[in-house]
Amino acid sequence: MTCAWASRTGDTLINYLYYIPNTIATAILSLLHINLPQLNYLLTWVIASVMLIIVIMVNVIIFIYVERKELGRFMDRRGPFVVGPAGFFQNFADAFKFLIKEMILPENADALGFNSTLVIIVASSLMIMTVVPQAPDFFYTNPDLGLLLAFAIFAIEPFAVVIAGWASNNKYSLLGGFRSTAQMMSYEVPMLITIISVVILAGSFNFSTIVNFQSSHVWFVIPLILGFIVFLIAIVAEIERIPFDTPDAEAELVHGWMTEYAGIKFALFQLTSYVRTFAGAAIMVLIFLGGWTGPFLPPIVWFYIKVYAVFTLFVWLRASLPRVRIDQVLNIGWRSLLPLSLFNIVIAALLRISGVFH
Amino acid sequence: MSVDLIGFTIVAAATLVLALMVVMSREIVHSALYFAGVLIGIAILFFIMNAVYVGIIQILIYVGAVVVLILFGIMLTRRNILLG
Repeated sequence: MTCAWASRTGDTLINYLYYIPNTIATAILSLLHINLPQLNYLLTWVIASVMLIIVIMVNVIIFIYVERKELGRFMDRRGPFVVGPAGFFQNFADAFKFLIKEMILPENADALGFNSTLVIIVASSLMIMTVVPQAPDFFYTNPDLGLLLAFAIFAIEPFAVVIAGWASNNKYSLLGGFRSTAQMMSYEVPMLITIISVVILAGSFNFSTIVNFQSSHVWFVIPLILGFIVFLIAIVAEIERIPFDTPDAEAELVHGWMTEYAGIKFALFQLTSYVRTFAGAAIMVLIFLGGWTGPFLPPIVWFYIKVYAVFTLFVWLRASLPRVRIDQVLNIGWRSLLPLSLFNIVIAALLRISGVFH
Repeated sequence: MSVDLIGFTIVAAATLVLALMVVMSREIVHSALYFAGVLIGIAILFFIMNAVYVGIIQILIYVGAVVVLILFGIMLTRRNILLG
């Protein structure tokens, strides 16, 4: 079996997400006097996964804090400021409150559908970040078809959402599940067509090839500004943030398909939505905003600067736009974004054959 | 016994068991849930056989679209849950 972290494109950098776990695994096995390469491989893989989950979760905590603070500023208030320095530990207090709540399985609910979909949704959302590299020296895997694979994993969630809505045995949950699935499926189409325009210019589905191409030419946001706008709208709809949060519209459906989930299950779903936001922002940075390239600072710092800038854009959209109605959501997706994304492919193909990018 | 063979055996066995559950389940939504598991298992088998593109498209089309369409169809039929 080839090593999943095999260094690509001839770079000689150390991949820290392989190097540190491998060192720890080797140290543990040499302490126990075990000499099995397969066990070393497995242990390295497990430690690397735990490290990646810690990285994602720390970012999610900072995301929630940043969102609350920025949303407060947009609304001319101060956001959380009581618990901890500048209110940073407010999230931990909220998480602890979720932990001590009872986990309720509603009467007449379908236990298998209710619980297994939780696992599917959380696991598939965490899995997106395994194929998204964060820097040339910090990635979990970097497969040839990484961009396509990331969107394939994005596409696992909708069926679990509709089953979760059905299993809750609640009409609001069922409606929320239908809305969520319909919305995600409609916006996947323009999103996938938009990434084709990026692939036409870069000539590869591999994230690091796309980023290297942008650093040697120009960020794709400049020639493909139309595609960037389509992708921004589609990704906001895909991760169900506020202008497109019809699936859990508080005014209409109590909390959409999450209504019946309580305690830590609800907290996990909320966490999952931020994980998907992180993944969406990371993919957007990688394919349109030049990824980890930038002057002076190390690549990982540039990556996170750009990701947090994109996240601030999401918060800005949330603070300033009203919610779109569900029929308008589907109309925007099929009647506006789909033709625009097809037109964007024409632009990309013209740029490609005119020899501007080669 | 190589790592590949162990992985293949586990995934193939799980896929077969899930495929049996699809036809033996009494609740049709559970069948759809197991069916998605079968399709993901087949995609992993494609990955093990180094047919990465086929595996990705398997997930994207079958899990992302076909299972959802099946579920939308199922939801419009009669069901025991949601009546009480």
